[in-house]
Amino acid sequence: MIREALAEHNVEGELLVISDGDEAIRFLQNLDAQAIVCPELVILDLNLPKRSGREVLESIRKNWKCQDATVVILSSSETPEDKADALKLGAHHYVRKPSRLAEFLDLGAFFKQILAASRNPGS
Amino acid sequence: MYASALGEHNGESPRIPSNPSQISETLILILVSTFRLSLTYRTGPVTITTRMPISSRTTGPFEPIPDSGAAHGVAPALGNVEQREKELRDFIENVAVPLQWVGEDGTILWANRAEMKLLGYAPEEYIGRNIAEFHIDAAVIEDILCRLKKGQELEGCQARLRCKDGSIRHVLISSSVYREEGRFVHTRCVTLDITHQRSSTEVYERLAAIVESSDDAIVSKDLHGIIRSWNRGAQRIFGYTPEETVGRHISMLAPPEHADEIPNILSRIARGERVDHYETKRKTKDGRILTVSLTVSPIRDATGTVVGASKVARDVTERVQQEQALQDANAALRRANSDLQHFAYSASHDLQEPLRMVATYSELLQKRFGGKLGPAGDEYIGYTVRGALRMEALLRDLRTYAQVSTEEYEPTEELEANDVLKKALANLEGSIAETGAQITSTDLPRIRIYEFQLEQIFQNLIGNAIRYRGSDPPRIHVAAERQHKEWMFSVRDNGIGIDPRYKEQVFGIFKRLHSAADYPGTGMGLAICQRIIERLGGRIWVESELGQGSTFFFTVPS
Repeated sequence: MIREALAEHNVEGELLVISDGDEAIRFLQNLDAQAIVCPELVILDLNLPKRSGREVLESIRKNWKCQDATVVILSSSETPEDKADALKLGAHHYVRKPSRLAEFLDLGAFFKQILAASRNPGS
Repeated sequence: MYASALGEHNGESPRIPSNPSQISETLILILVSTFRLSLTYRTGPVTITTRMPISSRTTGPFEPIPDSGAAHGVAPALGNVEQREKELRDFIENVAVPLQWVGEDGTILWANRAEMKLLGYAPEEYIGRNIAEFHIDAAVIEDILCRLKKGQELEGCQARLRCKDGSIRHVLISSSVYREEGRFVHTRCVTLDITHQRSSTEVYERLAAIVESSDDAIVSKDLHGIIRSWNRGAQRIFGYTPEETVGRHISMLAPPEHADEIPNILSRIARGERVDHYETKRKTKDGRILTVSLTVSPIRDATGTVVGASKVARDVTERVQQEQALQDANAALRRANSDLQHFAYSASHDLQEPLRMVATYSELLQKRFGGKLGPAGDEYIGYTVRGALRMEALLRDLRTYAQVSTEEYEPTEELEANDVLKKALANLEGSIAETGAQITSTDLPRIRIYEFQLEQIFQNLIGNAIRYRGSDPPRIHVAAERQHKEWMFSVRDNGIGIDPRYKEQVFGIFKRLHSAADYPGTGMGLAICQRIIERLGGRIWVESELGQGSTFFFTVPS
């Protein structure tokens, strides 16, 4: 659905999809060893298989290669505690997963904005 | 002073003198003890005395002796005899022992002052009456007279006498019959008042019976902890007989891990302190460990010195076990309830994710392929999307409901209900504008509640009032009034109203009185309101008639 949202707003770039928390943490560990750059934008769910999104977020924030990455938490949780916790751990935005397609597709515009800002930090 | 009179007796057997004119009187009065008194006398011309008219019988058995001739060989001087007689008469009339003569038919022939003082009668009210009139138990006096007639000597027969003031005296009657030539002349009757001793004995016996019949163990011990008494309750609870315990140390009942309590209790008792409802463990003869509640009180002697302790031990093993079982059951219930609420929360949360996928991908399908699947295809996708969205709303509300139940609920700060109402109305702005609803309110108080929850209550109640409107634009009034220790809020509308039959049902989970097509909603709004209010310690209810609008009330502690 994120792919659809990005496509809807013609966001350019490479989309890497990681399907569980374990794999995400391995990916972050490999960043150090290999000459891979950290993604500019990380869209992270809190409720992930194997390792939680919270743990992944902590790994991202600890990884020196990801210092400039913008992290958006996309969660179905509406509790203020989850939001506060995520922002405290270093997430930049906290977005509740929309139920309606239109709202979901609108997220594409939001992601586009973030990417534009990180690509042109001066503007 | 009667030594001389007794001396005349000379060891011979008493005999009834044949010539009354020659009789002198002798009286041997022996007080055996406080409780037993025997009276032996030989007396003067009783036939004359007993036949005196009642009015003149107050002088008693000793009539003046016309001729005081020698009775036993030694003839005392006339003056001495008269003097002795006078003294004896005085003695027998005024001695503090109740004495009386009763005739064969029960008529009271004579009684001394002590007898009448005992019962409170004047001589004219007593003498000449039948003795049975003064006995409470007719059978007793009947038996006494019957035995006396048979020649028996009675000692300490128990009887109850009625006093003039209506009170009853318990007495012991000792009596024998004075006969002349075999003829019953009168009784020689001594009455001993034992009312006081008897009531003391009765109190003692009653107390002893209470101690003995008590279900609790009642044990006395001295200050060294040596058991001095052991009742039946103690035997029943601990299994030892009095023979196995009296004389032994009280520590025989304490399990080793509680042995150090005994010196502590004894020293507290020695200081005159009590030990009240002390729950501890004690061991029975067969080795069972009981939970007992002990109350130990000092026993003091007449001078107030603590000389020992009385211990009442109640076996509370069963009660303690029941309390424990109840606590366990409560804890299990709380756990189960909490598990269930967490389950409801997690389930609704986890179900929401796949449902969101169904909803959004159905919509995406509609967007990408709408019009390409034919009219039926578009219609079916439409149903799928609507169904998924509705289910998502249901799950969201179910999760809110579960969340209200599981969260810690201790709002500490008061907030302005007026401000919260404004927020709720802002959330409902769309539907207010759409329906032309007019919402008024009185000044609302400050109350202790979480803001988002009060907002939810207002939003649900006002939202319902708008949703279930009648043909006229909604008119909604919010008010609050102080009632004792709580605030009662009300939300009144002019809507379609609720059949009073359903006024409880509307607060049930997923309970709806109308189809979703007629009135959209999940049926969870009022259930959530009820849950929030109940957790606050308040109540929520509705008063309504069909077509007459509804008023929802809820209370919150002030």
